[in-house]
Amino acid sequence: MSTTELNDARFVVDATDLSRFHSGSDAPIWWGIVGLVLIEMSVVAAFVISYFYLLMSNPQWPPADYPVPELMLPTVSLVLLLISCVTMYMAGKTLNKGQVTAFVLYTVASVALACVVLVIRWQQFQNFEFSLDQHVYGSLVWTISGFHFLHVVSAAIGTAVVAILGMMGFFSSTQRIGVVVDTLYWNFVALAWIPFYLILYWVPRITHTAGG
Amino acid sequence: MQSTATYDHDPASTQLLSRTWESPPGVLNWFTHVNHRQIGYRFVVTSLVFFALAGVLALIMRLQLISPENTLLGPDLYNQLFTMHGTTMMFFFAVPAMEGLGIYLAPLMIGTRDMSFPRLNAFGYYVYLIAGIALYTSLFLGMAPAAGWFSYVPLANIAFSEGRGMDFWTTMITFIEISALAAAVELIVTILKQRAPGMTLSRMPLFVWAILVMSFMIVFAMPTVMAGSVLLALDRAFFTQFFVAAGGGDPLLWQHLFWFFGHPEVYIIMVPALGIISSIIATFTQRPIFGYTALVLSLVATGFVSFGLWVHHMFTTGLPHLGLSFFTAASAMIAIPTGVQVFCWIASLWGARIRFATPMLFILGFFAIFVIGGLTGVMVASIPFDSQVHDSYFVVAHLHYVLIGGAVFPFFAGLYYWYPKMTGRLMSERLGRWSFALIFIGTNLTFFPMHQLGFEGMPRRVYTYLADMGWQDLNFAITLAAFVLGTGFLLTLINAVISRSRGDLAGSNPWQAETLEWATTSPPQNYNFRHLPVVSSRTPLWDQPDADRLECVAGLRADRRELLVTTLLEARPQSVLIMPNPSIWPFLLSLAVGFGFLGFMFEPWLFVVGFALSFFMIVGWLWPKKPWLDGEQSYDQSHNQS
Repeated sequence: MSTTELNDARFVVDATDLSRFHSGSDAPIWWGIVGLVLIEMSVVAAFVISYFYLLMSNPQWPPADYPVPELMLPTVSLVLLLISCVTMYMAGKTLNKGQVTAFVLYTVASVALACVVLVIRWQQFQNFEFSLDQHVYGSLVWTISGFHFLHVVSAAIGTAVVAILGMMGFFSSTQRIGVVVDTLYWNFVALAWIPFYLILYWVPRITHTAGG
Repeated sequence: MQSTATYDHDPASTQLLSRTWESPPGVLNWFTHVNHRQIGYRFVVTSLVFFALAGVLALIMRLQLISPENTLLGPDLYNQLFTMHGTTMMFFFAVPAMEGLGIYLAPLMIGTRDMSFPRLNAFGYYVYLIAGIALYTSLFLGMAPAAGWFSYVPLANIAFSEGRGMDFWTTMITFIEISALAAAVELIVTILKQRAPGMTLSRMPLFVWAILVMSFMIVFAMPTVMAGSVLLALDRAFFTQFFVAAGGGDPLLWQHLFWFFGHPEVYIIMVPALGIISSIIATFTQRPIFGYTALVLSLVATGFVSFGLWVHHMFTTGLPHLGLSFFTAASAMIAIPTGVQVFCWIASLWGARIRFATPMLFILGFFAIFVIGGLTGVMVASIPFDSQVHDSYFVVAHLHYVLIGGAVFPFFAGLYYWYPKMTGRLMSERLGRWSFALIFIGTNLTFFPMHQLGFEGMPRRVYTYLADMGWQDLNFAITLAAFVLGTGFLLTLINAVISRSRGDLAGSNPWQAETLEWATTSPPQNYNFRHLPVVSSRTPLWDQPDADRLECVAGLRADRRELLVTTLLEARPQSVLIMPNPSIWPFLLSLAVGFGFLGFMFEPWLFVVGFALSFFMIVGWLWPKKPWLDGEQSYDQSHNQS
């Protein structure tokens, strides 16, 4: 409690005992990250809409001589990213219970999953059978893949820093807003793969079959 | 820790509180400031510098057009000038100016001590500054972009615009949007989470509502132009085919991406102007604004509808007729919220004893100019008419009436109105009236004849014209009038500089206004409010003109930066946020990001270097200070450093 007497009648609100900790939507930083995610979602939407716009202005999709994309590796990436959302969720859950070691392990596991995804994606960049400067189809695949790749890199690095801070004993069940907002961003990056996966790997298969 | 804590309700804590919130003096420390008033002030001043620069470019263009076949400027330089004029006015003046007012005023109006992410705020400013300096460097090196402010492809693509000019445009536009988006997010969060206890959403000042709507519009509109300019940059640097018809791309996609941003952009500029108008009308009639709820709903409706209008910039591109009809209808629909607002303002002014000081004069000027712009807007919303005047001087006239009427007049009104709050002194009323008169007359004499030039067939963006076209008399008159207009603006700039030291002392509430920014000293102390205010109506200072007797908050620490977080709708006290101190990291980060963007133009891989550098700057920015386990203090302090 405050040691000073609040004898002045003007003071109608006393903040002395209000919490100085935040763990979710009571924290401005949480709203800030939501704002960041909204912005990025608008970018994702712009890419998806541009994709369909260009698809519709082309008679053949993918263009002649272009291979129909394989599903295997991108699907593996999708599954790994979805699992990483679960591990991040578990990281937060264990931190809430004060199990810091488990928290660090789950965080490291998430970063590891993201790294596997990055390796797979990198491999796919090597194996693209088309360049980005011949046809807009290739431009789209390269650009959208690169955009998502950069985001996975950022999320992985950011979460690695969170893991290191966790090892140094920075986080606890009350001090966890950093983990909460990192998870928020992580989920966005992982889930953003779903629309990209669909347009890059499923849509061309469908249009290819439909177009004969 | 608790035993040594000092709270701001302790009458002896004033000095300590001031020291806690102080922005350290000194030249080098200038780069560490994070206070919202410092940053907002810088935004406003810098935007006025760009306004002046773009104005000078316009005058040079007018000199070129003063007579037929004039040789003052060559075609290429002329193209650079009109591109820079438009780009500067839209991206480097209008948006930052409005954001600057919002950053300065919104926290004061909602009764808090700083914004949610002060360091992000500072970062946004440096990004803006670096982008502006880089763009103008390109102009002085004679390699400015020259494809118009909306950079239509294929002209803007590498095949038709070689050289660095367009690269400067694509990268700097992408770059400066970071600044706009950063400001938008933190304005939203600050307004939603830091309002004074009791300031429910329905008691929020209309200017704050306008800033909130503007910020949401930025969040949804700017990413599209960022995506577009990135794709254009890729087309130019890596020969991707997004906008190249030969490679399956579509030039029209650029227009869609650009105008999906570009039309809301017009309202991003105008919505805060509407907020300014409502604030000033209430003050200068000394009674509550008529139709508060209707005005708020109109602002929000304007925000929504403005996203459905973009195709009306593309009526002549050969789109399907059904689509065109839809966008014509949507364009007509925006007249509803705009009309509601105009009627509310008329009702507010009706029968009131209006005080005709300079800010109010600019508002009345707004009504006249904006109505004319609105009428020509109705004309060009009709497709057959638009097909006739598209890309002629009629459109130049229309857009200047709308933008000068809808944004510049209210902004200047706001400048005269809030100048005393920012500097402690009033601007000269005499110079203000002269300035208003010259601007008002100059605007009409400059732009009204352009309607006629458009009818006579003069296309926009031509660097010269032949004598036998019969356009020379009007052009001659317009050029003279442009200098009248320029003189009017110059008078206000002079007024602002002189009044800084010579103006009459303002006191805390020179206009007897009702909102909270007038409850503190002019300029405000480091801590904004000695005690955070508590409100119980829309007009706190009219209910209690003695600011020292306002109800207020106790129990915030004076020995560290604390402010109150309240709930989103009802603004009930929720928690206390510990704010970060001044820091050099935002500046360093802006340098790193700027390096990445500028480097990309010359060697694309330098972008990766910028990315890596930025990572270190971000870690440095966010790294918690040891020892963090000492108590509650360390945690939030270290983790809310954005």
